[in-house]
Amino acid sequence: MTAAVTVLFFGDAREVTGTEAEDFKAGDTTELRRQILERYPGLGQVSFRLALNRVLLKEDTGLKGNDIIAILPPFEGG
Amino acid sequence: MKNRYLVGGPISPLLISELMTLGNDDPGAGAVSVFIGKVRDDKVNEQQVIALQYSAYDAMVEKEAEDIIKTVKSAFSDVRKVLIVHSTGEVSAGEASLFIMVTAGHRDHATRACRHTLEMVKERLPVWKKEIF
Repeated sequence: MTAAVTVLFFGDAREVTGTEAEDFKAGDTTELRRQILERYPGLGQVSFRLALNRVLLKEDTGLKGNDIIAILPPFEGG
Repeated sequence: MKNRYLVGGPISPLLISELMTLGNDDPGAGAVSVFIGKVRDDKVNEQQVIALQYSAYDAMVEKEAEDIIKTVKSAFSDVRKVLIVHSTGEVSAGEASLFIMVTAGHRDHATRACRHTLEMVKERLPVWKKEIF
């Protein structure tokens, strides 16, 4: 089963892809990560973590419709 | 302000003074500890930084800030109020981009909890910066 999800790009990930948000279809985050890197090979040079619906992911997980995945490079606040 | 934790542009002296009045309704708070982070005019590759452009994942900032405040309050029993405000958008060198205030009954928890809040903000708040030269 694949789910339609929205991917948000932040920090250097936004710089590299030139996009803030984009829709993808994937069954889990492993597959999603593969698709994102295929579409934006430059992201391979950016270190990032994923958040699912505002929660940082510690491991890959399944996706359901309307999930929001965020690409989060290392935080630089303060 | 964009939400309780984010403000567009620098944290002005006026906003800082307004934020600092927020503990005034609590006469049991005998100690107030404040941290203000400012943009530095660093040199990067021989170029002078004149400002930083901050961006944030607004919805996650809200969730993380609430969680940080909850964690600090449970770790320091004397703490009464914790405020966190971060800038988004452009902030010039010399201007403030982060404001943290902790009120507590006594100085020990106020100062330690303020430092602890700062470290958690650096580690957990989804905020990014880009140098402007």
